[in-house]
Amino acid sequence: METNHVPEKFIVSIGPQHPALKEPGHFEFTVDGEVVTNATARLGFVHRGMEKGTEGRNYVQDLYLMERVCGICSHVHAMAFALGVEKLAGVQAPPRAQAIRELIAELERIHSHLLWLGVAAHEGGFDTLFMFSWRDRETVMDLLELISGNRVNYSANVLGGVKIDINEKQKDAMHKGMDFLEERTEHYMKVVTEDETFLGRTRNIGLMTKDQAELLGAVGPTSRASGVPHDVRVDSPYAGYADFPVKLITEPAGDLEARFVVRINELFESYRLVREIIDHLPEGELTVRVPRRIPEGETVSRVEAPRGELFYFMKSNGTDKPDRVKVRTPSLCNWASVLTLAVGHKLADMPMILAGIDPCFSCNDRMVTINRGNDSQVWSWEDLRKYGIDYYK
Amino acid sequence: MVKKKVLTPEELLQAGKEALQSWILSENTPENNRLDVVIQTAEIKNCVRALVNAKWGYLSAITALDSPEYTLVEGSNDKVIVPDKGNVELLYHFCNGAAIITMRMKLPYANAAIDSICEVIPSATLYEREASELLGVDFIGTPSTEHLLLPDEWPVNVYPLRKSFTGLEKQNKVEEK
Amino acid sequence: MADPFQEVIEKLKTWGRVNSPWAIHFNSGSCNGCDIEILATLTPRYDVERFGIKLQGSPRHADVLICTGPVSLQARDRLIRTYEQMPEPKFVIAVGSCAISGGVFQGLYNVVGDVSEVIPVNVYVPGCPPRPDAIIFGVVQLLKSLQG
Repeated sequence: METNHVPEKFIVSIGPQHPALKEPGHFEFTVDGEVVTNATARLGFVHRGMEKGTEGRNYVQDLYLMERVCGICSHVHAMAFALGVEKLAGVQAPPRAQAIRELIAELERIHSHLLWLGVAAHEGGFDTLFMFSWRDRETVMDLLELISGNRVNYSANVLGGVKIDINEKQKDAMHKGMDFLEERTEHYMKVVTEDETFLGRTRNIGLMTKDQAELLGAVGPTSRASGVPHDVRVDSPYAGYADFPVKLITEPAGDLEARFVVRINELFESYRLVREIIDHLPEGELTVRVPRRIPEGETVSRVEAPRGELFYFMKSNGTDKPDRVKVRTPSLCNWASVLTLAVGHKLADMPMILAGIDPCFSCNDRMVTINRGNDSQVWSWEDLRKYGIDYYK
Repeated sequence: MVKKKVLTPEELLQAGKEALQSWILSENTPENNRLDVVIQTAEIKNCVRALVNAKWGYLSAITALDSPEYTLVEGSNDKVIVPDKGNVELLYHFCNGAAIITMRMKLPYANAAIDSICEVIPSATLYEREASELLGVDFIGTPSTEHLLLPDEWPVNVYPLRKSFTGLEKQNKVEEK
Repeated sequence: MADPFQEVIEKLKTWGRVNSPWAIHFNSGSCNGCDIEILATLTPRYDVERFGIKLQGSPRHADVLICTGPVSLQARDRLIRTYEQMPEPKFVIAVGSCAISGGVFQGLYNVVGDVSEVIPVNVYVPGCPPRPDAIIFGVVQLLKSLQG
């Protein structure tokens, strides 16, 4: 057992480890009794070095690379990248391609929000809701596979447009899928706003006021649930959003319940948009030619990922490889907000509060360090989750 | 009920420019919704405060770029990096609707230091930590310099996003020389 | 000559292992694509639990380690440690192209690449990501090999 003295904190790693290796605590909570007094996080577990990687590969290869920044929102990353390259090249993808981009982006939002609904429910111990939402989510996974050939990483974007088209049979399948999902989502809305046990863990918990959300730089549904009226699809329409606009959805309450309600309302809006797009899909080409060497320049590409604003800054230098691609993911913004928010809340609320920002789900085995007075413990995420469930029994 | 007029990107940029007027050294409009302004490194906090006080948008990202100096290898067209002579360029991106104002500064490698803006915008700490570890910028007064993304054991003074970095094995070989 | 009593014990152990292996999941830096398909195997349509597989939290009780991702430098030591904490006999299933070769991340500065450079691997399930059916197939292949 080794102790490292850090001002005001005692970090003691418990468990079979080599004394020389420090457990990379992903989350560290300092608690006074039940109440969290400080929260920090170490990210970087998934740091791969992609931004550097883009500089050594050409734009076409980089499109495939950027699709895999995140498996849950792969399409929006590729779309942001492709839109950026097209701006630098001075071309615009044809209307049919832009509409298909938007269609797939909304289908992706549906899968992502349903995924989140299940995962967040699981964090709170509502495993039935997890099973139901993921079973229903298979409907949209099937649709994505139907039109693109893959359930995840649909690879629909090419530089200059899209490589997949939508036929009548697929449109029918999508209509049926949206009808089914809409009915199921109405049920989820009832659970989330009426079930006593659920509300016990979400109403008035994790409160973030509008001012706090703005000061802390929160984005996406997390900030919209505090009444902040920002949505890149509305503020700065891209792809097909000028022709097929989306409604801005906010909730004033700023608590966990509001975060659930916003995402479910966004699901309804996505179902509407999918129907709208397939009923009015513009005719025409799917791609426009993009030169291999991209003229020198800089651009900013912003899109609304399911978790919030995704920001790409791209610099080209006249060659076929980018000079710099900078990616600022929405989760990065939301981590800052939620860690500040955590202070003053109960430890038992941490799993749901952290789940509430829809964080990149990757660290399933993240470790948590709990500092209590002069004592420190390392828990697994499972331990923290169970602690929350037991607390509210 | 009076409907609030939605300003165009150009109008928004004009308002932002007015807030920053006293510090703008030069400006450029590369796209109709983007305004790039070059400011003095020492004025970053004043400029950020000006936008925050004017409630002009929000800080969306801080991009750090490597701008090395190149020289031609004698007798060929190949470029090589001149060590220690380049700059790190910092871009602070503020977004307001569709409008984006980017404040730009070049910091020489020898003195890649700038004031932290965390006093004004606390959430900027994550962006500052990232630029610091990947490109070697020193943010004076920043609340945390703990690695955000890189492993703790990453060698000191090795900045992966600098053009001169080509991989850890090659880096180790260079150091052994 | 093999001890007959030992043979029975071995067969019982194999039966126990094959019929209800406990698995843990480790993400070594993946984009999550594989992880969500692994999670999908637990859900009603795929229902991997009907094979007796239980996905749970502690390495100390696990027979099988399901690993995704191209092994980031930070994950490397934790992966080794997790593997070491598992009791013998233990098996590793590497899921996804990244776990096999690093996938699209091969050569990037913060990844090792191939999981088998860090710990021994028994089964590879290729794909980017592999479908839940493919993942289950991989697990069943492992179980069948234990039976034999």
